[in-house]
Amino acid sequence: MKFHFFHLMPYPDLPDDFRQRYHGVWVDLPATELFDATVGHHAYNDYLDELEYADQVGFDGICVNEHHQNAYGLMPSPNLMVAALARRTSQAKLVVMGDSVALYNPPTRVAEETAMLDVLSGGRLVAGFPVGTPMDTTYCYGETPATLRDKYREGVELVLRAWTSTEPFAFNGRYTQLRYVNIWPRPLQKPHPPVWIPGSGSVETWDWCADHSFLYAYLSYFGYLRGQKVMQGFWEAVAQRGLEPNPYRAGFLQFVAVADSDAEAERLYAKHALYFYNRCLHLYPGFASPPGYTSLATIRQGIEGQIKLAADRNKELEDLTWSQILDRGYVVAGSPDTVVQRLTEMEQTLRVGHLMVLLHFGDMPKETVLYNTTRFAQEVMPRLRPMWSEWEDQWWPRDTLAKLAEPAPVPAPVTA
Amino acid sequence: MRATTIALGPPPPAATPDFNHAVSREASHEINNSVGRQQVVYRAGTGPPLVWLHSLYGVEADAPLIEALAEQYSVYAPLAPGFADLDELDDIRDIHDLALHYDDVMDALELPEAVVAGHSFGAMLAAELAAHFPSRVSRLVLLSPLGLWNDHYPVADLWGVPAAEMPKLLYADPSRAPGTGDGKPDLEKVIALTRAMTTVARFLWPIPDRGLARRLRRVRAPTLIVHGDQDRFVPVQYVDDFVRLIPNATSEVIPGAGHMLLAEAPEQVLAAITRVRSRA
Repeated sequence: MKFHFFHLMPYPDLPDDFRQRYHGVWVDLPATELFDATVGHHAYNDYLDELEYADQVGFDGICVNEHHQNAYGLMPSPNLMVAALARRTSQAKLVVMGDSVALYNPPTRVAEETAMLDVLSGGRLVAGFPVGTPMDTTYCYGETPATLRDKYREGVELVLRAWTSTEPFAFNGRYTQLRYVNIWPRPLQKPHPPVWIPGSGSVETWDWCADHSFLYAYLSYFGYLRGQKVMQGFWEAVAQRGLEPNPYRAGFLQFVAVADSDAEAERLYAKHALYFYNRCLHLYPGFASPPGYTSLATIRQGIEGQIKLAADRNKELEDLTWSQILDRGYVVAGSPDTVVQRLTEMEQTLRVGHLMVLLHFGDMPKETVLYNTTRFAQEVMPRLRPMWSEWEDQWWPRDTLAKLAEPAPVPAPVTA
Repeated sequence: MRATTIALGPPPPAATPDFNHAVSREASHEINNSVGRQQVVYRAGTGPPLVWLHSLYGVEADAPLIEALAEQYSVYAPLAPGFADLDELDDIRDIHDLALHYDDVMDALELPEAVVAGHSFGAMLAAELAAHFPSRVSRLVLLSPLGLWNDHYPVADLWGVPAAEMPKLLYADPSRAPGTGDGKPDLEKVIALTRAMTTVARFLWPIPDRGLARRLRRVRAPTLIVHGDQDRFVPVQYVDDFVRLIPNATSEVIPGAGHMLLAEAPEQVLAAITRVRSRA
């Protein structure tokens, strides 16, 4: 199986009385009161260091994502972060998880930027295309909830055609009309970089991923116990089509905290996990479920989106304790043995070939992140790695250049 | 009142609508036609024709007013496309498509013109119909209309508050809001409400301005705008904007009423529409 280091890049300096003073972390949180650009400067640089370290210690992929107008994740543009990472990493694949296609006008911008990143990185790009949260898409970017998914799918179709068409074409879409589509550059990977779809339990997305052979990833804040119903739905869609239940079709995100013992894990990580659940996930219910964002079929299925779930649990998250976080599987924490045992159980239940781990939580300092990352890479990864080795991963870059260009040392100025 | 499904577009509906003067909500008549689009229209009463364009929650939520209007008008109340089936919006994508749709509906009902009245979202559609097809509308009544935007007194974000707080935006006295019942809401009710809100949001999101201000100069009908002075969703100042933009408009402000005028000021609303008739 494969392991990916995922970074949310939260703002690390929200005040202790954050929950009392503000109704939510997203959309209308006043930046002038809370955002300090110097704190941001150091956070960005620490976070990039952490991702680069993950490349160093053998993670298969490093992942970033897109969110808007919030302190939960400071990445309105994941592509900018990957551009920075492309030059100082060489082994790990660069997983953009991903670009919210419906928010780019025209969506060929996504085809262009991902092609740039693929060429720059020597064919290391994985292109994720999420619909985007309700807050990002409908409240921050003003997309009409009823047409968002249709616009998103049309956009993904346009990106795929823009990457692969052999000649300029006209695109007369419902949401985008272009007389000439002919992007430069083209991706290095042929026919195109792997496409990963982060979903949150919409029934249509299971079918769509299965039909198009896109990887389906469930990005859960609430651990694998909650993820079972969602992944089961995806595997049923795969089975209905008579497709192989190849675990590499699927990805899953999990918070993990490794230490010498379970008690040590609590000492090192508990307060940072609580920062994440109490402050970063302090979601205002008024921005959680715009009408039309969730399809009627999904409502009938009784599956609630990740955001609505978090918003509905807002009160509960306020009083959350570390032991509840562990019991409910939100965070898998403890000694390497405990972590391996819990992740093995999770892997077998969910059947995912791509495990994305969050080893940075909330306001965790860099030294703790590097410690957690080292222990995971050295003591957990090797023991889980053989799982699913009987399957071939067809959702992974295969054209990466054997020899990548290396950033040359900056020459000393030549005196005239 | 009685629900009838009519077919749109040529040829005109084959079956003669069943005119039942008694107010009944039971019967439904399905008529197919060549283009395949159907429209549920509720009907009640006798008298000069009045087209009622419903509020945020569909025709049946407005039944008390429709039944009162049926004493003096032949009321035709079409259910907005999307409310019964979201797929209906595949071909009705923007406000102009929607105005054309209501023109089709009036054709199918064989109504060259009518008094057109509506509340909230429905009032916005009534104004759009009158602006797109001025000759269709003999008198126009707009009750707490949406459709305009002014930076100085923005329309509140109805979907930017938790559902439980919506009554505070919609009612001057939130205790007048219909109760949500106890326990877990019925799934089919949740689905129906989601369809309604999805449809309304499609034409109001993210800013409830689809260019109506540019078109209101075309309205020919004498127009009455009725608004509650305690409307926290659409501030009462919009009355002045509508009066300024519509060539022949008067207004009536109801003290103490919020956005949901049908619930909060039913007598005043009925009296206002009755006065319109006497002038018609």
